[in-house]
Amino acid sequence: MSKIRFKFTRGEQVKYISHLDMMKVFERAARRGNLPIAYSQGFNPHPQMVFGLPLSVGVTSEAEYADFDLAADMKPQDFIESYNKVLPKGFIITDANYNQGKNNIMATISKASYSILVSSGKKDGIDTICKKVEEFLSQADIIVRKETKSGAKDVDIKPMIHGIQVLIPGACNEKEDKNSSCLSPFIEEYAQRILDNSVDGQCSKSDHLFCVSALLSAGSAANLKPELLISALNQTADLEFNVLKIHRTGLYVERDRRTFDPLDFEILKVV
Amino acid sequence: MTLKISDQILQSVEKPSRYIGNEWNSVHKDLKDIKARFAFCFPDVYEIGMSHLGMKILYHLLNDQKDIYCERVFAPWVDMEEKMRQNGIPLFSLESHTPVKEFDIVGFTLQYEMSYTNIVNMLDLSGIPIRSADRGKDHPFVCAGGPCAYNPEPLANIIDFFMMGEGEEIILEVMDAYMEWKDSGKDRTDFLDRIASIEGIYVPAFYKVEYNADGTIQRMVPQGNYPQKIKKRIIKDLNETYFPDRIIVPFMDIVHDRIMLELFRGCIRGCRFCQAGFIYRPVRERTPGKLLEYAKKLQENTGYEEISLTSLSTSDFESLGALTEGLIEEMEPKKVNLSLPSLRIDSFSLDLMEKAQKVRKSGLTFAPEAGTQRLRDVINKGVTEEDLIKSVTTAFGGGWNGVKLYFMLGLPTETNEDIEGIADLGNKVVSAYMSVPKEKRGKGLRVTISTSSFVPKPFTPFQWEAQDTMETLKEKQLLLKSKIKSKYISYNWHDPELSFLESVFARGDRRVGDVLISAWEKGSRFDSWGDHFKFNNWMEAFRDCGIDPAFYANRKRQEGEIFPWDHIDVGVTKKFLWKENQKAHDGDVTSNCRLDCSGCGAAAFGGGLCHE
Repeated sequence: MSKIRFKFTRGEQVKYISHLDMMKVFERAARRGNLPIAYSQGFNPHPQMVFGLPLSVGVTSEAEYADFDLAADMKPQDFIESYNKVLPKGFIITDANYNQGKNNIMATISKASYSILVSSGKKDGIDTICKKVEEFLSQADIIVRKETKSGAKDVDIKPMIHGIQVLIPGACNEKEDKNSSCLSPFIEEYAQRILDNSVDGQCSKSDHLFCVSALLSAGSAANLKPELLISALNQTADLEFNVLKIHRTGLYVERDRRTFDPLDFEILKVV
Repeated sequence: MTLKISDQILQSVEKPSRYIGNEWNSVHKDLKDIKARFAFCFPDVYEIGMSHLGMKILYHLLNDQKDIYCERVFAPWVDMEEKMRQNGIPLFSLESHTPVKEFDIVGFTLQYEMSYTNIVNMLDLSGIPIRSADRGKDHPFVCAGGPCAYNPEPLANIIDFFMMGEGEEIILEVMDAYMEWKDSGKDRTDFLDRIASIEGIYVPAFYKVEYNADGTIQRMVPQGNYPQKIKKRIIKDLNETYFPDRIIVPFMDIVHDRIMLELFRGCIRGCRFCQAGFIYRPVRERTPGKLLEYAKKLQENTGYEEISLTSLSTSDFESLGALTEGLIEEMEPKKVNLSLPSLRIDSFSLDLMEKAQKVRKSGLTFAPEAGTQRLRDVINKGVTEEDLIKSVTTAFGGGWNGVKLYFMLGLPTETNEDIEGIADLGNKVVSAYMSVPKEKRGKGLRVTISTSSFVPKPFTPFQWEAQDTMETLKEKQLLLKSKIKSKYISYNWHDPELSFLESVFARGDRRVGDVLISAWEKGSRFDSWGDHFKFNNWMEAFRDCGIDPAFYANRKRQEGEIFPWDHIDVGVTKKFLWKENQKAHDGDVTSNCRLDCSGCGAAAFGGGLCHE
């Protein structure tokens, strides 16, 4: 028996599927494609699949991860090819490798990066916004009210923010030299659709569209949802952002206080 | 035109997956190759409609024709409807998000009477005039089929034409006629005229109803050279007809989220309250070999984890043993479960249960329908108390601990003794559980007794009977509730109000169609969804239209009365049904079709069990 870890994309077509329903999609697709997924023993066998951090309904992602147990060996490249043939449009497996480590993806996730497309209610230009964000981050603590199962409570989200960058969609081509400021094609395409007015009801002028890229704590220990970050910016940084789209661009695991890509060799090697 | 539904709207409604489409095996076609577009409309939400086998069959059948494109349309839930109306979004198809109004033919499937207001609402949301008479050359044709179409009259002013019976052949004949007509450039009436000669097609506008002074029907007059009787269509040999080798795999949970394998059509039993038992005759089975082949292909093409055997009375399937063995052998290594619904008590065998259990244990449901042997004989439900107790004892011994028992209140000739008999039967099931040694039975016994209210249906021996008034039904529910004392038994019952309306529309004539539209105007839709059922709307609508609902629901009919559905020929004759009605009142049972032919008339179709 081997374990495989893979990375996949959840596109526009499938962004409204709940986490539980998505697991069913992968299970059924695996059956269609005769993938050798291992099943639990017992009266009610279920497939041995572990998915990373659940995405909210409506959020797209290019960096979802899952760990599957295989009952028979299968080369990662074959796994990717066979699976992609039987997955519904919108789900694409982009990378895979054997996971020989003991860790499981769900338990080890520590950070997630997002691109959040927003329209601004204020006339602020990009420089003003960046300045406001800088000031926001320079606060000693950032207290927000968080709704939990046991009622609302005040939380300091400062330690959960590991970086914020604000960019203008469509500006990427103009400064090709600065690769780091390029936005995910998911965001660029969506922004273009809004600008082309093909997404009805969300018409905005181009100079009011911004993309907030953020690296945030994620997982069971500490988790900051991008929606909450935006509402904190609106509450304390004198901004008026209206979220149009959220897209996850990365998911990271932690070992010995170091952050890794979940498919990093360090993480997947035998320990 | 393709509509774009904004994310803002989709984010704001419950279960946006209902409106997305793109599921595995959904069909997407290039419009330039298409000559006719069919909108298959299910007048309820996605998760109900997607569970319907008939839609799955006809969807893929139509889409296997290269010049036809069939797309699905469901009723938007109330939150989505509100957004659509606010934003001027018309009702659209799931596949291409095309407005329904742009289709050539819009077809509704009629599965239950209380979905009718959703039909009106869906037409309105589409921008298609609700009444057939108001449609013109820019509108699609609106048709309907399905079990409720056997009494088409309540919808006669709304639907342009009905397709009677099984759809696999007739729907293609209609599509061919449509494509011919489309090229001819002739008017709307010309098309309806063309298809009126296809067997099984009923165009209500071509018939006039004349009434007697007492409100009953005098006669039905064809307005031209149209058939006096419209004969339903059947597929003579199910092994030769179309069955899809793939079905759509939804993204969200639907009611029946599994492969449905249709073993046979029709039912040998002839329970006297059951419309399905008569309208689907004659009994026609598929061969186990064919079914195994379908199951294998469907499983490979969908990846489903469960297969259920469907038909009106699965345990009456002649080769059930061979079929389940074959299925388990094929599916067990693939971790695919087999579920066996609607099993009859008398032929329920330990053997079969254990085989199904090998894969997975599923719940047990029994439908004795009535509390005493006397009443079970009246309704011709050939089940005895001994059968039931033997079956549940076996089941408890096999580790089952949950049993659901279904009954009806308000059956013809019912007395308090029959009602108390229901509680007694429940107690006996509890005793049966206690009689099984502790180490063999499952922990935590749950017995659920559910009662529905009897609704007399067209084409049954009880079509002449009066339904109990709502007051009487409520009294009966209270009586039963007071008789159930065991802590292991829970009791559920249906709202008599809903059954009352169902009764009006099941046996209604053309005049009740206005009530339907009026109730919708008052805001009624999703009537079968408890929260959205507004009984007062309906009572107001009856008053506004000058219609007495009791005339349809609570009136006992004379033998010779002409019914609104008498011009529909389902094979089973009115004479036979009356004979059965008389036998019911005498407490005489009729044997099942396999033991003895009782000459119901279905043999006229020349297929199935009648000719074996």
